[in-house]
Amino acid sequence: MAPKSSTPASTNVVQTLWKAYSDHTSDRLKFIDAFLFFLMLSGIAQFLYCILVTDYPFNAFLAGFASTVGQFVLTASLRSQVNPENKNEFKEISPERAFGDFALGSIVLHFFVYNFLG
Amino acid sequence: MFFFPIVALLFASAQAAILTLHTPKVVVTSATGSQLRSESISLTQPLSTPVTLGKTDTLKLTFQIVEKDGGKGVQPHQTFLRFYDETSGEEGVQPVRVTNGGKAKFELNMARPPLSLPPTSDAPLKVTLMIGSPLHSPLKLELFDLVVPASQTPPVHPEEPNFHPLPEIHHTFRPDQKMPPRPISAIFSAVVVAPWAVLLALWSQVIPRVPYPFSPSILPFILTLGAFEALLVWYWVGLKLGQALSYGAVLGLVTIFAGKQALSKIGDNRINRK
Repeated sequence: MAPKSSTPASTNVVQTLWKAYSDHTSDRLKFIDAFLFFLMLSGIAQFLYCILVTDYPFNAFLAGFASTVGQFVLTASLRSQVNPENKNEFKEISPERAFGDFALGSIVLHFFVYNFLG
Repeated sequence: MFFFPIVALLFASAQAAILTLHTPKVVVTSATGSQLRSESISLTQPLSTPVTLGKTDTLKLTFQIVEKDGGKGVQPHQTFLRFYDETSGEEGVQPVRVTNGGKAKFELNMARPPLSLPPTSDAPLKVTLMIGSPLHSPLKLELFDLVVPASQTPPVHPEEPNFHPLPEIHHTFRPDQKMPPRPISAIFSAVVVAPWAVLLALWSQVIPRVPYPFSPSILPFILTLGAFEALLVWYWVGLKLGQALSYGAVLGLVTIFAGKQALSKIGDNRINRK
């Protein structure tokens, strides 16, 4: 196989992947994916701050980081349950039920995060 | 009948012979042998000036114990010299050897002091002679005041510190943690808020189709979800836990009903669309 450095072949692979993604993913799923990407960025930013500068209000760091991680998990599970292509995996869970679970889980997560934020 | 032995004892003691001293004399000699002081002690009062002993001096006390009437020498059962310190209250009692004829000699050598000598303080030691005998009435004579060289301080008991207040404990605490300097805080605040801008940019490109968000069956659900978030922010800002939980319970009931209604409506729409 050709080496995986920045050869035109590998950039082509990335471009093809991106094209396939944007063509075949519905808008709703892209909406959720944008949210997931945002959560990942936010978590990375907070973690970088904790490592590089200080973890002085440690409870605040834990609350913020846990909120991003927890929300990411909830949103990822919502996405997988709402995706019509996974309908066979989740026969008993309708998309509405998935959203209800997501809403409840998010509220509980937010409650604990606000508790810990201080 | 009960009092008879006591009365007899008192009677006997009233008739007991009285003891006295014959030629009591105190002599202080130095280490070289020269006599520093030599006095006979009066029986009615102690010596006017205290007897001072240096580190190498020797004190010698001689007397004879005789009966007052008759002058017969007596060897009493108990003959003690009491050294008493009035200021500190310490006392030491030294038995004195008395011969059969009543002659007694007591030597005090400061090079080897007897154990009964109490530790010194500012006041001189009062030396008293105490004689006790069942056949005679007791005798207590104040002889003289004695000044001895200062004694070494007594050794401190190993558990002495436990009987005094222990030294005060000074706690040291870890210094307070400091906030980072303001520019760094500002930069990283911008870094953490930046993902929101990214999210808004991405969302603006993929606005999904949301069917009938303002219809009366779906809107209450959205509003109650927003109300929950507002309650949580209010809890963070000022509310107490009990209040927040009770409000949340009430709001939760409302949300459940609104949610059931909204989600079933959406489900029907989805099925109908299919």
